[in-house]
Amino acid sequence: MVKDKATVVVVGGGATGVGILRDLSMRGIDALLIEKLDMVNGASSRYHGLLHSGARYAVRDQEAAKECIEENTILRRIGKSCVEAISGMFVQVEGDDPDFVDPWVKGCAESGIKTRELSKEEAWSLEPNLSRKLVRAFEVPDGAIDGFRMSWQNVQSAVRYGGRYKTYTELIKINIESGAVKSITVRDNVTKEEYDIECEILVNAAGPWAGKVAQMAGLDCSVSPSKGTLIAFNQRISNRVVNRLRKPSNGDIFVPHGSITILGTSSITIPDPEDTSTSWEEVEELMKTGEGVFEHLRDYRILRVFAGSRPLYVPKGADGGRNASRGFVTLDHEKEDGLKGMMTICGGKFTTYRLMAEKFCDVLAPKLGNTAKCRTAEEDLVPAVSEADKKAARQYFPSYGVNLAATRLGTEKFPEVVKTLKENPETREVLCECENVTMAEVMRIAQEPTSHSVADVRRRTRLGMGTCQGNYCAIRSAAIANKLFKDKLEGCGDSLSDMKNFLQARWKGITPVMAGKTLREAEMTRGMYEVLFNVNGGRR
Amino acid sequence: MSKSDVVVIGNGFAGLMSALVSADQGKKVTLLSYGAGTFPLNSGVIDVLGYDDSGKAVANPAQAVSAVADEHPYKKIGIQALEESVKFFQDVVAAEGFPYVGSLNEQQWLVTGVGTLKPSCLIPESMQGSKCFEASEIVLVGIKGLKDYYVDMVAENLAKELGNDKKYTVVTVDPHYQGARDLTTKDVAAWMDTEAGYADFVSQVKGNAGAGKVILVPQILGLKGNVVYKKIVAELGCPVVETTAMPPSVNGLRLRDVLLSALKKKGITVIEKAKAEEAVIEGSKAVAIKAGGEVRLQTYNADKFIVATGGFYSGGITMRDFGEAKEVVFGLPVECDCFEERWVNKQLFSDKKQTFAKTGVRVDATLRGVDESGNVVLENVYVVGRNLSGYDFCFEHSGNGVALASAYKAAKA
Repeated sequence: MVKDKATVVVVGGGATGVGILRDLSMRGIDALLIEKLDMVNGASSRYHGLLHSGARYAVRDQEAAKECIEENTILRRIGKSCVEAISGMFVQVEGDDPDFVDPWVKGCAESGIKTRELSKEEAWSLEPNLSRKLVRAFEVPDGAIDGFRMSWQNVQSAVRYGGRYKTYTELIKINIESGAVKSITVRDNVTKEEYDIECEILVNAAGPWAGKVAQMAGLDCSVSPSKGTLIAFNQRISNRVVNRLRKPSNGDIFVPHGSITILGTSSITIPDPEDTSTSWEEVEELMKTGEGVFEHLRDYRILRVFAGSRPLYVPKGADGGRNASRGFVTLDHEKEDGLKGMMTICGGKFTTYRLMAEKFCDVLAPKLGNTAKCRTAEEDLVPAVSEADKKAARQYFPSYGVNLAATRLGTEKFPEVVKTLKENPETREVLCECENVTMAEVMRIAQEPTSHSVADVRRRTRLGMGTCQGNYCAIRSAAIANKLFKDKLEGCGDSLSDMKNFLQARWKGITPVMAGKTLREAEMTRGMYEVLFNVNGGRR
Repeated sequence: MSKSDVVVIGNGFAGLMSALVSADQGKKVTLLSYGAGTFPLNSGVIDVLGYDDSGKAVANPAQAVSAVADEHPYKKIGIQALEESVKFFQDVVAAEGFPYVGSLNEQQWLVTGVGTLKPSCLIPESMQGSKCFEASEIVLVGIKGLKDYYVDMVAENLAKELGNDKKYTVVTVDPHYQGARDLTTKDVAAWMDTEAGYADFVSQVKGNAGAGKVILVPQILGLKGNVVYKKIVAELGCPVVETTAMPPSVNGLRLRDVLLSALKKKGITVIEKAKAEEAVIEGSKAVAIKAGGEVRLQTYNADKFIVATGGFYSGGITMRDFGEAKEVVFGLPVECDCFEERWVNKQLFSDKKQTFAKTGVRVDATLRGVDESGNVVLENVYVVGRNLSGYDFCFEHSGNGVALASAYKAAKA
């Protein structure tokens, strides 16, 4: 049954998909994005969050390097509240190939990336934890970026231009008539209802799942999902992004975000993009390489290990993995395969998501007779929350958390939350001290149409995602969810199960790194919930 | 430098009990203290054995202790030392005016801070959850502004445990707190220690007291022993029960204060902020510990040493990298079954013990560290509490029981 209709349907709620949704909407094209789970659940939130300067690609892929530095500059401007405008360092340590440096410096210069060599003393004074085996260090304009938040801001921007999106809506069939896509069949993963959506053009932006989507249309699209494993540490080890100055390899990059640091990544070709498992071996490899840059790495507490899969495009006959291009490709299936009304975008990386969308839409828009120019680089993703609103918030809110909450909530929801805090003092309770999440914010996000489960609320608010690993907020989250959202959100069973599930979700990321200070945290978690609260239940 | 008969390293429950039993033997004891042990975390209740290996609740701790596996510390300590240690402990706290109820032959039940029931063995009078079993109405008291005590959730879970034929009434007490931060149980307990606070609380609860009822409160009945408890039970005329609590736990701190008071009376020297950094070994004996603050280390000589530095949580056992577990002061041999396929259960709240949790010093029946062939490594160094290997205190609820019994045995040796 046809229940909906859009000129363009975009499949995939990652950075690529939301970038295209925003771009099309700003060009005045009627577009609808569908995502099978919650928004941004794949590689766009499961990566190290590096805003590339391009220096990493300066030797092997200067085109990618140039794109990175241009986009880096644009994203710093249009996505201020998602970017930590820090710089980066490339460091060479004893044992690294000294001959890599000159071509790298030359490559950066040719790509338009500014580098500045630092003396060892200067490097150590800027980043005191750097290895004493440091040989050379260069400063580059890297940054850190919150992929989850930036993707959501793209959606919010698109919505202002008439774009639409549906989460928990999974593509299950592509309906083709006389060589052209007519409609798609989707399943609502919450209600399990199946229905059709008519469209003129179907955009496959499913990232590592793009091969599966192409198959539904009987097409072959060579996407090789490549798993990247990352480790999050519970503090900032450095104040800048730190890269290893050598041929790109595993465990080369440290990116500080807020109060944590992410070390990544590995690159393992996997058959199934859903596979986010990690092993001791992968962790050990990352740690060993990471120790080359920060000698005392093992003395930091690991928060969790996680993995995501990159959508690497492999032209027919080439290899996947580390050697596959980080560039992207636009496939017009009308030209390539004779199927009208379907296009695929493959590969790429977060830093260049906007440019990818621009180039892709430059091909797509003319097919619809639309000649509007891309404007996504000209306008900020979201307007900034006003200083007056922030000032008002400081009366009811821990003031150090105001900026965090303002960027999470945005101009519309933030004043609403402040109003709730003002009128109802009980909602001022800080449920999560790590991320400064108040009860009022949780209540507001729970009302969003995209909030179907407690886990959805958690991702949007970051409740329980901070450095205490849920030890203090598991009980609060279970109690609040049970009181306020019972029968409204999925995942509100009984409070004990909620508490257990909440902590279990964190446990998954902890088990592969159960050593060092992580053991200490684990013994505390169990001491509290298993012994003191006996969540497994009493007189069994 | 003066010399002690015994140096105890660690001031958690195992350390304090080791010091007290040693002093009771007429020994000159020095206790090196660093941090607060796990008192703020463990609610100051003595779990001996709550669940057996299959996860079934234990009704009679003494019986269940006799049936533990060979690797378990209780097997090495023996039931006799356990029994004597229980008596010793109960005498100490009773003499301090803070009696603990319970025995090895019958399990006690606590109401937890989330409303479940928890088995324990020796508990303060204020925490006898079993008083709820016979009551016809449970009056659950919440405190306005108190963090981490959700009285509705406690009511919901307790009703699941005790059944719906009882009445559950929720009362919220307003402590009229004007400050800007969230309240902890410790703040509310301090308020209850004041005359005005106590009177205010009683006036808000009194109307709900009565025959057949139990008043269930978070852990807030004062910071000092059982003073407030005795007063409020007499005044309300019905049982009052405290739950276990989120750290910092008030009852853990009460127990700690009471034990420190007993230590003082025994003339035990307590050195604060003395982190043991280095052991001085001569042949097969330890002769001294170097411990101290930031500036320089002091040397503490003794004939005998008791290691009560705790496990992973307290930092007595560390494992910087997979398989490299260490006992940090003497480098005693550590049992560590570190293999990826069994080190951590996939489920946090599992139906079997966590292997990593059993990591600790391998000891013989004298509680001295032994090498893989069973030879004692240091003949005058004894190991107690969570430093020991072979048990998962979280799974079986046995933490302070092992601490008490091993402390007693090591101190007597």
